[in-house]
Amino acid sequence: MSNNKNVIETRGLKKTYEDGGVPVEAVRGIDFTLTKGEFTAIIGPSGSGKTTFLNLMAGLDSPTDGEVELSGNLISKMSGKELSNYRRDHIGFIFQAYNLFPVLTVEENVEYIMLLQGIHKKERHERVMQILEQVELENFAHRLPSKLSGGQQQRVAVARAMVSRPALVIADEPTANLDSKTSGDLLDMMKKLNEETGMTFLFSTHDEIVMKRARKVVTIRDGLLFKSEEEK
Amino acid sequence: MFKKLMMMSWRNVMRNKRRTVITGIAIGVGLASLMFSDALFAGMNAHMIESTTRTWMGDAQIHHEGFRETARISLTIDEPAEVESKLSEDSLVVASTGRLISPASLQSAMEMKPITLMGVNHLTENQISMLEVAIDTGSYLSGDSMEIIIGQKLADDMDLGLGDITVITAAMADSGFASRMFMVSGICNFGSDQYDRYTAYVNIESAESLLGLEGELHEIAIRFYDPMIAMDTNLVFWSTFSADSNKADGWPVLAPQIASMLRMVNVSLAIMAAILFGLVLFGIINSLFMSVYERMYEFGVMKAVGTSKLNITAMVLLEAFWLGVVGSILGAAFGFAIIEYYANVGINFGYITISGVMFDKPLCTILDWSRIWIYPVSTLLFTTLAGIYPGIHAGNLNPSEAMRKSL
Repeated sequence: MSNNKNVIETRGLKKTYEDGGVPVEAVRGIDFTLTKGEFTAIIGPSGSGKTTFLNLMAGLDSPTDGEVELSGNLISKMSGKELSNYRRDHIGFIFQAYNLFPVLTVEENVEYIMLLQGIHKKERHERVMQILEQVELENFAHRLPSKLSGGQQQRVAVARAMVSRPALVIADEPTANLDSKTSGDLLDMMKKLNEETGMTFLFSTHDEIVMKRARKVVTIRDGLLFKSEEEK
Repeated sequence: MFKKLMMMSWRNVMRNKRRTVITGIAIGVGLASLMFSDALFAGMNAHMIESTTRTWMGDAQIHHEGFRETARISLTIDEPAEVESKLSEDSLVVASTGRLISPASLQSAMEMKPITLMGVNHLTENQISMLEVAIDTGSYLSGDSMEIIIGQKLADDMDLGLGDITVITAAMADSGFASRMFMVSGICNFGSDQYDRYTAYVNIESAESLLGLEGELHEIAIRFYDPMIAMDTNLVFWSTFSADSNKADGWPVLAPQIASMLRMVNVSLAIMAAILFGLVLFGIINSLFMSVYERMYEFGVMKAVGTSKLNITAMVLLEAFWLGVVGSILGAAFGFAIIEYYANVGINFGYITISGVMFDKPLCTILDWSRIWIYPVSTLLFTTLAGIYPGIHAGNLNPSEAMRKSL
């Protein structure tokens, strides 16, 4: 049974892929809990199962065995449509390559998920402008992503991930395409937002800048979690 | 959300302007060629109908039942004066003329030939047929009982010229034969053997006295204000004038080869449209699939953040719709321009004959507004429908597979 402070919890999570007819156990029974307000990094070498594990928690992939429970909902048993709604309402995504919609302006990118949620135009606008102010991009609201720097685009991605107030923000190597200074600034900003809003953040990273700022670092190797650093 | 999808799909279409323009031109060329073919066939149809009805037949005719099949001269129209009076009051009818028709023989000093004798009303015949216009030498009928008009080919065969005397012999309605002398007053050239080699034209009063059919008519030829009226088989006109033993028929019945030709043209056009729409359909599907594969990652992100399958499918459908809008506008503009150009200058095919109708002047395109709109609208519809398959494909993408390089 999950603790109500837990945002996400996995129990005996397993995922086996077929690769050229050969079964590959990418995740081999992970029990993991993330409590509200955490700022946690998952590290591990390539092929360790890090990506698969995050995909399972985000509801982007279905487990072969085990359960994922987010805010009391068992997502491993959800239908495709339920999963889509679950991601929309409970998870914020920040991708490595920013992945903003190139045909939408900064404001439109940030409001997109709220549009899917059916939030009223006035409220959407207010929340967009508020979050853009927090990521210091209020003067760039009408620009297209292509007219922004990499750091600015990633800040828009952070705003997009947070504006709908999800239970969990999953960031996949968010600093991979940024220089050290920009990475440091971005992480400081995210940490500040985490502290201000109490939103839970889970990173996958190789970047020491992220690891240094994370309150908890979890290591994954060969599909198993084997080390968890204490909270800083 | 629909408004946002409309906007996103338009911007997506304009992301790759070169591809959009090329695809739009491909759609446009297909559409323009269909519109042009339709207008060209409409011109050809109009020429065939006009040539058939204006030369001699008229848009409709009234006969005694069985006359057309047997040509028996005793089968005259019932109450011809009453029928002509009713025709003059009918709102569909612009003009009508009565005729007597009989097999006869034409004799010159040199030889004798079987012909069809046409007794025509010189005052009204020129409102129906081209007889007056077809006179090459001499003059049109004036009402003189001696006058006869023959075709150029008949004149050549019989070695007859203007002012020559000829004798017509025909069977009389009651019994026996009658002969009468005529003087060639005009030589005509319709450009058709039927009218130039095998027919002679005299005043109706002369035919009446020769055949012993005073006050009778074998045929009343009618001109409607629009020849296409005759295509409507449900007109009250047909039943009104098919009373007693009379039978009224339109040109589609009188010249079934023309009606068949028109049907064939329409079927050909439909087949051509199906082929062109098929090509456009596959072209658009290909173009959209390329666009979907290029944006696979983007679709993955869209799905990851919770965009529904329906919204993604709708967005791709709308992209197809916008491509259709671009193609339809380009195609319609090009189509109208080329139709307008050839409506004025025409296309010269030389001298060709189709279903017995001679095309001896440039064929002009005709813009038929009642059907030309179908092509751009169908293009838009087909192009949008072409988005269904790529749209469903994009909607069904698995987000983690689509973004394999991401999470």
